Amino acid sequence: MDRAACAWLIRRFADADAVFVFVDDPDEVPADATPFDMRGVELSHHEGDCTFETALRWFGLDDPVLWDVARIVHEADLDDERFDAPEAPGLDVLCRGLSMVLDDPGMLAVTGPLFDGLYEYRRRALLLGREPS
Amino acid sequence: MEWLLLAYRMPREPSTPRITVWRKLARLGVAKLGDGLVALPADARSQERLEWIADEVTDAAGEATLWKGRLTSAAAERVLVRRMAAVVGAEYRALITAAAEARQRGPVKRQTVARLRRELRRISQRDYFPPPERDQARKAVDALMSEMVLR
Repeated sequence: MDRAACAWLIRRFADADAVFVFVDDPDEVPADATPFDMRGVELSHHEGDCTFETALRWFGLDDPVLWDVARIVHEADLDDERFDAPEAPGLDVLCRGLSMVLDDPGMLAVTGPLFDGLYEYRRRALLLGREPS
Repeated sequence: MEWLLLAYRMPREPSTPRITVWRKLARLGVAKLGDGLVALPADARSQERLEWIADEVTDAAGEATLWKGRLTSAAAERVLVRRMAAVVGAEYRALITAAAEARQRGPVKRQTVARLRRELRRISQRDYFPPPERDQARKAVDALMSEMVLR
């Protein structure tokens, strides 16, 4: 979930041409790749933050809508009740379910529009100050 | 069955990171095997969660290693499983009591039901070996819910 959200974030807000490589072990990361959401790398969980939050800082993204999405990603990934995010359990189930029926590239292809929608929904919610219809 | 074992050590001070780590482990429902040694039944999700916690330990100047292992004795495994089931069993019983108390106090509030629902979900998440109390707890919360709707 956190990983899929980060891939979406990178493609949409940092590098539209980013190419993703999927590895099972940190040792398999190619020399010219930037590892993320893996143990022991910079672009990962830090001080209780999930990778999505770390990535927002890393890319210097201060878009309040992204930080609002980060709240949901954080709870879906860590479920530590740091934020009130009622959307999180549903999103977590959707992502976990999709990962059961899709391979890694398929997962990114499907979750991309999912996060586009989530971003747009939260953008309108923040503008309106209430849930959009 | 296969188990995940997290062996960790953290500085005594500052105590905040140590307490945070312990709270996260407790929320996962780990079995405490000794000082700085906890276990969970192995699965991909638990492994990822324990890996993040291991990183948090390392970030806080501690040491952590995550292992996969099997008990050499089936009897010892049964003891461990029973112990874990007993812990969540007690949590379910506390929830059943809370539901009964809310019912006695009369008009059941929506927030009370929501809180108990949340608590039930939390317990189920760390319920690797469901005890009989699980169904009773679900029924108790559902009964409270229908009471609320009737009023």
